[in-house]
Amino acid sequence: MSQEIRKIEELARTIRRDIVEMVYLAKDGHPGPALSITDIVASLYGSLLRVNPSDPEWEGRDRFILSKGHACPAVYSALARRGFFSPELLPSLRALDSLLQGHPVMKKTPGIDMTSGSLGNGLSIGVGMALASGYTKKNFDVFVIMGDGELQEGIVWEGALSAFKYKLGRLIVFVDHNGWQSGASCNDVGGCVSVKSRFEAFGWHCQEIDGHDISAILQAVKNARAETNLPSVIIAETVKGKGVPFMENDNSWHKRVPSKEQYEEAMKILGGC
Amino acid sequence: MSEYKGSREAFVAAMTDLADKDPRVVFVSADSLKAARATNFAEKYPDRYFEAGIAEQNAVAMAAGLAACGLKPYVVTYGGFITMRACEQLRTFCAYTDLDVTFGGLNGGMIGGEREGVTHQALEDIGIVRTIPGVKVFAPADAAETYALAKAAGSLKGPVYFRLGSGREPDVFSPGTEVELGKLRKVLDYGNDVLLLSSGFVLDRVLKAAELLKAGGIGASVVEVHSLKPLDADGVVRELERCQVAVTIEDHTVIGGLGSAIAELAAERCPCRIQRLGIQDVFPESGPANTLADKYGLSPQAIADTARALAAGKGR
Repeated sequence: MSQEIRKIEELARTIRRDIVEMVYLAKDGHPGPALSITDIVASLYGSLLRVNPSDPEWEGRDRFILSKGHACPAVYSALARRGFFSPELLPSLRALDSLLQGHPVMKKTPGIDMTSGSLGNGLSIGVGMALASGYTKKNFDVFVIMGDGELQEGIVWEGALSAFKYKLGRLIVFVDHNGWQSGASCNDVGGCVSVKSRFEAFGWHCQEIDGHDISAILQAVKNARAETNLPSVIIAETVKGKGVPFMENDNSWHKRVPSKEQYEEAMKILGGC
Repeated sequence: MSEYKGSREAFVAAMTDLADKDPRVVFVSADSLKAARATNFAEKYPDRYFEAGIAEQNAVAMAAGLAACGLKPYVVTYGGFITMRACEQLRTFCAYTDLDVTFGGLNGGMIGGEREGVTHQALEDIGIVRTIPGVKVFAPADAAETYALAKAAGSLKGPVYFRLGSGREPDVFSPGTEVELGKLRKVLDYGNDVLLLSSGFVLDRVLKAAELLKAGGIGASVVEVHSLKPLDADGVVRELERCQVAVTIEDHTVIGGLGSAIAELAAERCPCRIQRLGIQDVFPESGPANTLADKYGLSPQAIADTARALAAGKGR
């Protein structure tokens, strides 16, 4: 195993501990969806994103949009661990006057490139960013993480069409395909059409990977970056609540606060205490 | 000076002039290139024309993405579609983010979309955007003022909503007219018997009403309010205190637009009698602009009658 992958895996473990602790201390938040995207977020901030924590507004940086904004504890942790702000701020999640709002806010939090939380909008906004990348010749890449549930929003497919029309090779979308959304399984709530077939129908470059396999994530992004003429979707098969066994695939953890005992158990599993 | 006819051409002429000097200015269309009269812009700057298709939410979200990367997008399409279909994208991703996105809402009002009817008449647009923090809201009175305002607004920061019309608006001001952004414009002063506050493409009707009043021995002042937000509060209060009674006239539902803005201000700072003329909480219909406006209570005679009754009741 390469040193890079070990480093990302260690970051992912740290992020998972931060997520559980943030939600426990804030007494609010979405642990399941955040744990689901943790390995993708760790790969982005641990390796893939060209960003500069000491100059968060650097014009040439790669952009990242967390379209499923409710999973933000994962991103807040990654930003803090990457040096955008102090990890000491993490326990202030959702508190009054905190930099760390309940959902991401670009004008409040260093490193957040776009406000999000209202589902479905990240892809279209990413289209605008990717168009700007080409027009300004800054040639940065634009990454978006979407949930599989939010693919039910119509604007996703408006944006998907535009991305194909404009051949936005710099737009790389992860779909966190854990199969669950707030109310129940995505298939039960929204219908059962495969994610891959939908993006294929819109002409995108599609890959399906294990969303918890760091080397697969890195390779998929490498493939996506090599595809310069089509927008890319990486459909990441994930487990909601990944890493905390009693949260895994239990949708009650979509938005739920662990008890003291559950918190301690989770931290022990994650190597935190 | 740029050539234009009507508010749509005037707006895009101003945008093009700004674009000539600022490469950050780009245009986002929702299959509205022709409607916006922006074909020449797209030919001149093909790499600055982004077409979202018949997908207004997509257009506004794309604009947010462009603006977040330092560009200054203009989104021009039908005002009802911007403010209703793409309301959330405007609010959350352009206003909450305080990004430099300028909106041109076509078919503002009943006579703005007179041929198509209610689906294409933006009757509630100002009321909707006025409630969103940080959005500046402008409703010019004709083409010349549209051009002047849009040029001046080019240096503003944050989101801006312009209410545009059909492109067939009557001209009131001379080409080259100047405008003080955000301030009232005193257009006519025949006295202080009654104040006529006008916003948008009904100013010609209001001026005719003032002439009718004058002929009947009533001196009206006509003040044009091109900036609904920020409202020139001190200017409005000064005029209200001078005349004591006022009529607001707008091609918009009387709920949420000029009439509401003036009444809200008056209630807090200078309570007085105000009559709100506009769309009276009904859906209008399609038809020729002039007869349509007359039928729905915006004829010069109806405006004059309302003002006369208010003036007669002063002090009672």
